[in-house]
Amino acid sequence: MAIAVEMPKLGNTVEECLLAKWTKAKGEPVSQGEIIAEIETDKATFEVPAPASGTVLEIFFEEGALVPVFTNICVIGTPGESAAEFAPQAAAQAPAAAPAAKPDVEARPAPERAAPPGGAASPRARRFAAQHGIEIAAIRGSGPNRRILEQDVREALYSNPRRSSLARRRMAEGYEPAGAGTGVNGMLLARDLGEPGVALSRMRRTIAERMRESLAATAQYTLTSSAPAAGLLAIRRREKARQPDITINVLVMFAAIRALERMPELNAELRDGKLYRRASVHLGFACDTERGLMVPVIRNAQTLSVAELAQAAKSLTNLALSGAISPDDLAGATFTVSNLGALGVESFTPILNPPQVAILGVNAIELRAVRRQERVEYEDRIGLSLTCDHQVIDGAPGARFLRLVGECIERIESLSGLQA
Amino acid sequence: MSGIYDLIVVGAGPGGYEAAAHAAQLGKRVALVERGRTGGACLNVGCIPTKAFLRSSRLFADCRNAQAYGVRIDGLSFDLPAVIARKNRIVGTLRRGVESMLKRAGVEVIRAHGRLASRRTVAADGRVLEARNILIATGSRPAAPPVPGIESALDSDAILDRPEIPHSLAIIGGGYIGLEFAGFFSAIGTEVTVCEMLPQVAPGVDRDIAARLVDSLEKSGVTVRTSCRVTAVNGETVHYQDEAGKAQALRVACVLNAAGRVPVTDGLGLEEIGVDFDQRGIRTSEEGRTSAPNVWACGDVTGRRLLAHAATREGVVAVNNMFGRRDRIRYHAIPSVIYTHPEIASVGCTEEELQAQGVAYRRALVPMSISGRFLVENEGATGAIKVLAGARHGEILGVHAAGDGASEFIALAATLLETEMCAADAAGIVFPHPTVCEALKSAILQVL
Repeated sequence: MAIAVEMPKLGNTVEECLLAKWTKAKGEPVSQGEIIAEIETDKATFEVPAPASGTVLEIFFEEGALVPVFTNICVIGTPGESAAEFAPQAAAQAPAAAPAAKPDVEARPAPERAAPPGGAASPRARRFAAQHGIEIAAIRGSGPNRRILEQDVREALYSNPRRSSLARRRMAEGYEPAGAGTGVNGMLLARDLGEPGVALSRMRRTIAERMRESLAATAQYTLTSSAPAAGLLAIRRREKARQPDITINVLVMFAAIRALERMPELNAELRDGKLYRRASVHLGFACDTERGLMVPVIRNAQTLSVAELAQAAKSLTNLALSGAISPDDLAGATFTVSNLGALGVESFTPILNPPQVAILGVNAIELRAVRRQERVEYEDRIGLSLTCDHQVIDGAPGARFLRLVGECIERIESLSGLQA
Repeated sequence: MSGIYDLIVVGAGPGGYEAAAHAAQLGKRVALVERGRTGGACLNVGCIPTKAFLRSSRLFADCRNAQAYGVRIDGLSFDLPAVIARKNRIVGTLRRGVESMLKRAGVEVIRAHGRLASRRTVAADGRVLEARNILIATGSRPAAPPVPGIESALDSDAILDRPEIPHSLAIIGGGYIGLEFAGFFSAIGTEVTVCEMLPQVAPGVDRDIAARLVDSLEKSGVTVRTSCRVTAVNGETVHYQDEAGKAQALRVACVLNAAGRVPVTDGLGLEEIGVDFDQRGIRTSEEGRTSAPNVWACGDVTGRRLLAHAATREGVVAVNNMFGRRDRIRYHAIPSVIYTHPEIASVGCTEEELQAQGVAYRRALVPMSISGRFLVENEGATGAIKVLAGARHGEILGVHAAGDGASEFIALAATLLETEMCAADAAGIVFPHPTVCEALKSAILQVL
């Protein structure tokens, strides 16, 4: 029984891999577990073991080819068997240059097929079984030592009606098996299906992609500290009735802008190996909307007073919440502030929004014990979590910036001109 | 023989004996403890004897109606003692068949009262037997409702051996037992009154189908009183409150108590070993497990579906699970039949159940007379078949039929439910022509 060897999927984001090297040629015998090829992702090199013993009947790609994951790369079987049915469509454009198959007199005998059930299962067999709701223990393995191969599971699936008429219709709607079939003869019933997966919205997909890219392409670390919040609370108390839009978050944003003016290396973008320091602060602020996270951008924030900053944040927030915000107002930030403090979060790890190199997380204000000379006093302090890209911001400058933000928060009353 | 059994089954009804045989066929060492007769209620006082009775009364009714088919019969009479003798002969044959089957399978049958001394031991009249698994299959007995004087009424066991045809009969209980006896006695000339406490006889049967059964019974002379609360039985007088709450009395020659059956859970030592049960029966899972490890239960004693074929399946499922073969019973696809004339056969949800569950459904109600064969076979009779299907995909959710022949084709409907067949796929199944079950095909085509 010929079986195909697929290009494995080596990670969530890996869509194709480089076929670096064939260690077995067409016509060569292989035993199960023996390495037949080496493949490369952009991060590492991996070996592909033979899923079964036999002879390499066909090779579909040359060395150096970029092969999509789950595409058949070669076929192992008994000499004389046809490999044509396994040929991937893409291989038509990239025919293998391997030598023509010669009957191999030393080929190992075909695996025993009458083995009783109970053998181990290959990972691919297990995956296929899980995807189709088949109980793997009931399958007879045809591999060495009765190992259950994917082909065995496939045969079990197609040899009798494994899905009920209703389950088939539900699966067409996106419901997926959540376990083995519990109907007559192991038939998969509607009750054996889990809830259907919900396709991500366009916006959610964009967020997901950005977040993954961020974590994959940067060297993020997060520093956490706190700053005295007495000034923030005093302003808020005094101005709440008259200027309700001057929130704690707006004041922290104002303090961060002041700090960025003094340490512009954090108000920067890293693109294609070059760091661009930006003269203007275009401040992004994270905004929780029904459709998901949005980050509106306040342009030239360094030119605004606290009242103007509050006004800009307010109007952009309203646009974001109503879904009427223009894409232009969501792009071009040079630094971002994200606030989970209102939800009681004491510390978190903000995710960078590349090409920005830093993002400030604002946490809850908490009463903390502080040592003053020989005394311990209690003080309201606001938590700050700064994530930086270590590619360009080392730990010490990051820490210095965070301390600077803290100092600006401590002096917020005089900095903002909103003294008592 | 001494040593540890793989399984001891307590009770040799259709749940217990089939389970014992199945386990023995799997190569297990099995003992079956039974204090009474092999075959349980089903074979001795239930399914089989009543079907023997109903066959005779049906033949009698057909003969009386023979003129309608162009056949003349004179000098017709009903010989109840001969009917009872035939019933006893058939029961005897089947019982011996079960006994020899058990012997062939290698099941050790122990004639004793079995009591669970622990979760691993059964005390059987002084002997203590040890087992890795115990299956309780003690079945049920006729219920005695809390009505003064009810003990003077005959129960369904006793009436099967009473050789006189009563002039009149009051049946307390309009479930399947009461209705089958109502059909039998009215067919052989007894004046029958059915007293049912609930607003509908044949509770649990789809309302449209039950209504057709009531029509047929009334047409054949049976008086059906629903919302009728029997307050006392005094010799040959039944006292009851009618629908309006007014006290009434009914004088009859004979009173039959057919107020259902209750599980036999007493004298088994269930409390002592921690098996969870109440007056409705022993609690079991879909796999047949009770709350106590190594102790399993099947059949009427679980109070789930008081049907012989459900008991058999429950027993086999329990045996499969206890010996490592994963299995479960799919209760939604267990068919049930009332062997009246017309027969009532159903499987799956009734329309009332779907409404109560808020399930969106499609429905077809087709007269049986749509089938030519039904017309040919059932002169002057009517019937109907109802098919209920999911609104979105058309999966068959319930099939309910009133009409002779339905008991034989309801298994096909059960298969449709077991395999979650959608009407669009079922429409491709070929039904032979001419058959009564073509009415089912017609109904399926109407819920496409």
